[in-house]
Amino acid sequence: MQKALLLSALASGLLLASSAHAELNVAGLANTCNNCHGTGGVSVGESMPSIAGLPEGYLKSIMMEWKTGKRPSANMTRLISGYTDEEIAALATHYSKLPWVPVKQKTDPKLVKIGKKVTEKCAGCHGDTGKSDDADTPSLHGQWSQYLQLEALKYRDDAFNMPNKQMVKAAKKLSDEEIKAVAEFYASQNK
Amino acid sequence: MSQINRREFIKLAAAASSASLLSIPAIARAGAKAKVVVIGGGYAGATAAKYVKLGDANIDVTLIEPNKIYTSCPLSNEVISGHRDIKTLEIGYDGLKKRGINVVHDLVTGVDRAKKTVTTQGGKTFAYDALVVSPGIDFHYTGIEGYNESMINDIPHAYKAGPQTLLLKKQLEAMPDGGKFVIVVPKGPFRCPPGPYERASLVANYFQHHGKKKSKVIILDSNDSHSKKGLFNQAWAKMYGWEKEGLGTNSMIEWVKGAEGGVVNKLDAKTKTVSSDFVDVKADVLNIIPPHKAGKIAADAGLTGAEGNNFEKGWCKVEPMTMASAADPNIYVVGDSCVAGEMPLYGNPNAAFDMPKSAHIAMTQAKVAAAAIVAKVNGKAVPQPYYANTCYSVVGDDYGISVAHLYRVENGTFKYIKEGSGVSMMTLPDKSPVPPAYRKLEAEYAVGWLRNVMADAFS
Repeated sequence: MQKALLLSALASGLLLASSAHAELNVAGLANTCNNCHGTGGVSVGESMPSIAGLPEGYLKSIMMEWKTGKRPSANMTRLISGYTDEEIAALATHYSKLPWVPVKQKTDPKLVKIGKKVTEKCAGCHGDTGKSDDADTPSLHGQWSQYLQLEALKYRDDAFNMPNKQMVKAAKKLSDEEIKAVAEFYASQNK
Repeated sequence: MSQINRREFIKLAAAASSASLLSIPAIARAGAKAKVVVIGGGYAGATAAKYVKLGDANIDVTLIEPNKIYTSCPLSNEVISGHRDIKTLEIGYDGLKKRGINVVHDLVTGVDRAKKTVTTQGGKTFAYDALVVSPGIDFHYTGIEGYNESMINDIPHAYKAGPQTLLLKKQLEAMPDGGKFVIVVPKGPFRCPPGPYERASLVANYFQHHGKKKSKVIILDSNDSHSKKGLFNQAWAKMYGWEKEGLGTNSMIEWVKGAEGGVVNKLDAKTKTVSSDFVDVKADVLNIIPPHKAGKIAADAGLTGAEGNNFEKGWCKVEPMTMASAADPNIYVVGDSCVAGEMPLYGNPNAAFDMPKSAHIAMTQAKVAAAAIVAKVNGKAVPQPYYANTCYSVVGDDYGISVAHLYRVENGTFKYIKEGSGVSMMTLPDKSPVPPAYRKLEAEYAVGWLRNVMADAFS
């Protein structure tokens, strides 16, 4: 009987992974992310961030923070809570190895100019143009302006209780126009 | 393998390797390209075609779809309420053509499963090694006395986006203040489970913005509960005066459940009056969404169930690891026409979870099928599948809500992962109200989601 089963499994040409030791299929996992974050993790939707090419440490830590409830989110906390720690680590590795593709988008030159000045304070962590070499700091150059503005909204609203207190402090110091200007500046650095 | 000695195993493996060559000669034969044909170019079909090509550029992929322009059903309720131009939901097939996919604008009229060919209305025949069937849904125009298909130009369903959407929009615009906009919801399963309730929300929003505040949306529902019910009721209370279930309230939106008269079984088309065993409602604008079944070609090809579980009737059962049809291993059924798991009965706490019929899940199904096809063509093991859903509903100005679902395959069956699923928060963890910023974010994410799913499927 066992022989017959084995033979039929092999002969079908399809070796089904057994569920107990289901092999982690990171490309398949990433496919579920790409619906919202774009083919290959490069977003074409203004409110959705590109995730391809973000630092591994950053990706892993935000996903783990969502999973453990440390980082509030309108939606990511739910989906990510269904993934294992191994899957989260594999996704972080997967996306970090893909190239960062800055998005070409229209920006307001006046705001970009203001943003350049305002972001001098951010350069310590985020680099002059949002291009960071730090493993825990996300790339911002050529990220979607709208997404950056929505993220800033979370840092400025106490209801979200965002975990990075340094960012909370920095974001709260900025006016509405400055927030927009910062987002437009980083968005314009699409090289 | 403990029961088999090494010598036997080698013999088996040798037999198996030659057997596997025999089992897929049409696909793996040197020189001849494997052929994949996709029937239907909606979210599921377009994604399947693209991801087969992405997985193996040597596979010959043909997508057969009658329409040259696809109109997204997701977010089409915003067209009805005037929040969105229908052009933003339209997309063609040039992106897929650029990827080397052969796009044929024709209607598949027959599938010969023995010969592995499909034939079209235009008289063409296409041979396949693997066939993806993704025709979406068709309607049952039966069950309501006095209602038939010929009436849809007066009584639109607007549940396939396009001219029907614009017709319902026009009727809404022409409706006098104080009128009744009646939505008749069929028994599940139907595509876009929150769709009718999102529509009700946005129609109420339209009333508020266009001087029609005395008007009402009445939902006559064949079901006793619905998708995201708590969240919808919360949003309706906040924005549209929702009080409680049933007719005769002060709310702009009224909802009648199946058990209390929501099951419409009769129509007087002349007066647009719909009736159930308990109530008669005269509509100014009547939107009947008929019950659904898998697209016709799926039934014609013998892929739909006729017996057993009531909910598999008229739908296509699939293998969890690959999305292959339970009826034919060379055919993969993805999108709204499949039943993946057991259909849920809203309001029944013991019901098993099935994947909802959404564009998002259709795309993850298509990606699973594409990966399985590419693996099969190349003689590789089936990759572990993952299925996920995200479904946003926009229910008012800067007010979005969502539901997420995650599924794995364990022991050959679909498994709903509760930890990776759920609806937007009703309250914050400390029971305080959810700040408006959360709802605003989800309204914005809905738009970003739309742009990305359209591009991920069609570009």
